Amino acid sequence: MKAHVLMKLRDTAVLLALLASLPANAAPTPIVVCYPGGPVSEAEANTAMAAMLRVVERVGEWPANSFSSFFTAKVDECRNLLKRQNPTFAITSLGVFLEHRDALHLVPLVQPRMKGATSERFRMVAQKGKFSSLDSLKGKSVGGTVFEEPEFIRKIVFSDKYDPQTFFALKPSRQAIRALRSLDKGELDAVLLSGQQYAALDSLQLKTPLATVFTSADIPLMGMVGNNQISTAEERGRMAKALQGTCSDSEGKKLCDLFGIEAFVPANAVAIEPAITLWKQGK
Amino acid sequence: MLRHLRIQTALVLGLAFAGCASLPDKTVRFQGLSDCPAQTPATLLAQQQEFGPGSSTHMLQCALTVARESSDPALRRSALPSRLALHLAERNANTPQKEALANEGVSLAEQALAQGGGSDGAVHYYLAANLGLAIHDHPLQAADNLSRLEQELQKAMQISPALDGGGPLRLLGMLYLKAPPWPTGIGDGDKALDLLKQATEKYPAHPLNHLFYAQALWEVDEQGVLAKSVLATGREKLKTGPWGYNRAIWNQEFSNVAKELGASAS
Repeated sequence: MKAHVLMKLRDTAVLLALLASLPANAAPTPIVVCYPGGPVSEAEANTAMAAMLRVVERVGEWPANSFSSFFTAKVDECRNLLKRQNPTFAITSLGVFLEHRDALHLVPLVQPRMKGATSERFRMVAQKGKFSSLDSLKGKSVGGTVFEEPEFIRKIVFSDKYDPQTFFALKPSRQAIRALRSLDKGELDAVLLSGQQYAALDSLQLKTPLATVFTSADIPLMGMVGNNQISTAEERGRMAKALQGTCSDSEGKKLCDLFGIEAFVPANAVAIEPAITLWKQGK
Repeated sequence: MLRHLRIQTALVLGLAFAGCASLPDKTVRFQGLSDCPAQTPATLLAQQQEFGPGSSTHMLQCALTVARESSDPALRRSALPSRLALHLAERNANTPQKEALANEGVSLAEQALAQGGGSDGAVHYYLAANLGLAIHDHPLQAADNLSRLEQELQKAMQISPALDGGGPLRLLGMLYLKAPPWPTGIGDGDKALDLLKQATEKYPAHPLNHLFYAQALWEVDEQGVLAKSVLATGREKLKTGPWGYNRAIWNQEFSNVAKELGASAS
């Protein structure tokens, strides 16, 4: 009888150990989402991210809740999150990717394709006839949501030729529309816009005609990246494939449409390489 | 991709909007209504000001049951049935039932519009309020209904801005706060701040005007100190006003925002 009880206890222990090792008991894989200049409410952003991750899990045939998101709109907090979570996958801006690429062994997995392109051009706009070049904006008030990442703007958008933090009187804004209204009223001298923001200018019906003072080279759009030291090529491939299928999924398509994303496509390493080189060369 | 993630905030339109034909239609059946007072469509309409957050659940269920069974044109084109559904949905802790009641509220408001109730701002307002509640946990449906919510709330604001303590201003402000911003959506932090500030100034008695304004101050401009002050004003209004069953629900919302401000604001 005594031996029987001991056997039962031992069996229970073995069973518990087995259960503990099952994937179902594993904590969700963290996906850090860094969105400099994005919404302040991280709880809400994480709720929204969860909707997207459920689609990705379904398309990639992972069990529901295999992934969880850690969202931040602050660059400093992004650095902390990346360090603390050491995520297998992350959704980042190009600037965040470039900054952490070496330390976290990040490789791009997919890029979004928008209006047929996986790259964009940044443009500095001002009231028509007021400024003719970036040089003419020296010391002037310049705004835009993109200045949440000033090092990215300096090294990549301006190819290390202008340091926005010293060359302009920067007036960063979390709202592109607010910066453009200020420009319209003459309260700002110029606004730096992402490709998507520039393409939508006509929808604003501003009173004052605008002119483009500067246009950047093509800059790759960034999507999801993976840590190639803590993930296998197979895992990264599975994630990339799931994302590529997201915009063809019925629910995923709605999300993609909302973001203006036509599809996720395999990351083009050749197209991203010049940005990596520029970043390294930047002082 | 990240430049477009902000749209997701819009997907989280948690606090109040939505409705669409694709939403599930599962009518919530009430129990124990044998002792309902004798009511007719005419008496319901005559007593409609008595229904509110302070009404007992039983009283609201009795009234909604009469409304469900009525084909009286005056009642069907009024906002009352939709408002009854909203009050019941707001206080129901069971999520599927809450959503079913809110969906019913949307449907009842749509019927009111079909019956010629379009000139009544309350019909548009309660349609939007129920729609918001129905899609609270369904971000994709929320995204599908942003334009409709905006249109209904704009109509409500034009016709009856004072309704429900500045409700149209309050909900439209919240819609602009939570919707995806330009260039991908209708979200607009400046519009949100303007409408919600107006709501607190013109209708200071309603605690949610202060709660939502505090959220906008923080989310748009990270004005933590001012947001906390506005939140404190709202809490006072919540303690003293006739908020009945909504007091505990809203108190939780105040706590959630206070927690976020406390954790993030300097």
